[in-house]
Amino acid sequence: MLTEFGKIFVFILLAAVFVVVAIFASKLIRPARPTKEKLLTYECGENPEGSPWIKFNIRFYVVALIFLIFDVEVVLLFPWALAYKDYGLSGFLVGAIFLLVLGLGMAYEWRKGDLEWARPVINPPVIKKQPYVKEVASQISADDNQTVLQDQEI
Amino acid sequence: MEFHSILNSLTYLAPEITVSAALILVVLFDLILGKNKKALPVIALAGMVAASFFVFQQMTFNGFAFSKVSQPWINVGMITVDSFGAFFKSIVILATVLVIFFSFSSEEIKKSFDRLGEYYTLVLGMVLGMFLMISASDLLLVYLSLELVSLSSYVLAGFTKLRERSSEAALKYIIYGAVSSGLMLFGISILFGMTGSTNLYVINSLLQAPNINHLALAFAGILIFAGIGYKISAAPFHFWTPDVYEGAPITITAFLSVASKAAGFALLIRFVKITFISGVAPSGHWQMIPAFPWKEFLIVISILTMTLGNFSALWQTNLKRLLAYSSIAHAGYILMGIAVLSNQGLIAVLIYFGIYAFMNLGAFFIVMLIANKIGSEELEDYKGLGYTMPFLGVTFGMFLVSLIGLPPSAGFIGKLYLFIALVDAKMIVVAVIALLNTVVSLYYYIKVLREMFLAKPASPSTAFKLSPLSLILIIVMLAPVVIFGVYFNPIVEFAKGCVTILGL
Repeated sequence: MLTEFGKIFVFILLAAVFVVVAIFASKLIRPARPTKEKLLTYECGENPEGSPWIKFNIRFYVVALIFLIFDVEVVLLFPWALAYKDYGLSGFLVGAIFLLVLGLGMAYEWRKGDLEWARPVINPPVIKKQPYVKEVASQISADDNQTVLQDQEI
Repeated sequence: MEFHSILNSLTYLAPEITVSAALILVVLFDLILGKNKKALPVIALAGMVAASFFVFQQMTFNGFAFSKVSQPWINVGMITVDSFGAFFKSIVILATVLVIFFSFSSEEIKKSFDRLGEYYTLVLGMVLGMFLMISASDLLLVYLSLELVSLSSYVLAGFTKLRERSSEAALKYIIYGAVSSGLMLFGISILFGMTGSTNLYVINSLLQAPNINHLALAFAGILIFAGIGYKISAAPFHFWTPDVYEGAPITITAFLSVASKAAGFALLIRFVKITFISGVAPSGHWQMIPAFPWKEFLIVISILTMTLGNFSALWQTNLKRLLAYSSIAHAGYILMGIAVLSNQGLIAVLIYFGIYAFMNLGAFFIVMLIANKIGSEELEDYKGLGYTMPFLGVTFGMFLVSLIGLPPSAGFIGKLYLFIALVDAKMIVVAVIALLNTVVSLYYYIKVLREMFLAKPASPSTAFKLSPLSLILIIVMLAPVVIFGVYFNPIVEFAKGCVTILGL
């Protein structure tokens, strides 16, 4: 007979087999007529521009981290807020110490400038006065893309 | 759990509370004082001194904090306070105090002056995690404290932002750490699934039942060992060690190699002994639950660890990497002491650890002083160092001799007690393998000495003035290494008094 872990093992096995079978079956059945357009990387219907390996701005992570900390804090404070009356002064002090320590962390972040929203430095593209030729136009648009990328990197 | 039992437990947590208070004060003073960072190490040191006072009180304590009153049939708690824990906590305190003093004279730390507040905060955070790790007797707290130590050490390993190797070390450390802590969590979940409890004592009493699934238990044991083995850099989980030790600032390398290892070993011993024991024979040997062969498993791991550590060290040309592999080898020797699974082996482990702390910290400190001076940790830059810096050369030689384990140094006493425990347990083959390993280790330690004393100095002698603080620190670390080599009764008696693990 199967144990409980045995059932899980069968489940994992079936899942793996399903993936392999599905991929190979669809490969056998589907028509394959690749064109250049079809093989392009999909990017919201646009033609892909530049490398996808761009740096994300660090500020997103900072905001996410701070949000996480204070989100967890609220989760911990809810049960305390419901029950602290039953335990008198010491119950209140426990929560107060917790809040003070968290507040200190917040003050530290503030003081060290981690709450400042790092602003991108905008370099407006310089448009040279030249007769409008198709190549120049594409050159300028490439420059524009370059500036956008730089902004994101900051 | 009643509220008042929680409040009553706080008396058992005095060292942990002291460390937390010191941590908060460091953050607060860093905010108030701004550019003036002189007060921060003083606060950290004061916190450690106060914590050591409470730890010495705990030498005679025996009790559980956060015990479950709702289950009167078995009065056990999340945190166990006993003399065994107090021993390892005092090693952690010793390492922390010395490392804080190291940081005064470290050029690497001085360069990142504006982040000094974070440095001391993270060190104290690590100490707090280690204290909890040492006394944890609940799987949840085991995992939580392990993560607290790991997260602080990831940041500290990459503390010197300017060097690329430092960031690489931190990244490698975090990736290995994530994998092994994931494995450990899986093992914990299996153990919890088998017994329905996270408390080690409750798990132990439930595992005594005859109808335990051996395969699942073995699986859980190995997976949890993966998490702990990563902390102590035991063999299949040691790959991070050389890279991290090389990339991290030397103060942190020294700290990781002693304090974090001490906490890992304390956790391993407590976990193995509490969870898998079924009784202690009159001879002091532990009778283990037959479901999982801990003895054979630990012997294999320890032989693998010391052989890999020693043989890889043979080819190292960087002093930090060399000491990293040597610390892996030492972890192998200590694991061998645990594999005896008896109180005698445990005493040997404690003695070895007490001595290892001094000699390893000392060796790293001198490597740091030399790196401050010549700006390199490569072996070829050590040519003729015994003549250009005679004092450092000679003291470094003494630490290395102790690390080899030659008499009359303290390292010899540590190895002697380990081998006696092995021979008494009739594990002659293991003892012989360890002995051969020691011979192998002789080669690479002596290689350093040869470079320092038998090679001609590459550059003409430069005047090197040792600051009084460094001189005192070297003497403080050298004295035990020399004294315990000839008069080792105090440390042996101290270790014998500290083998009691509560409840067993």
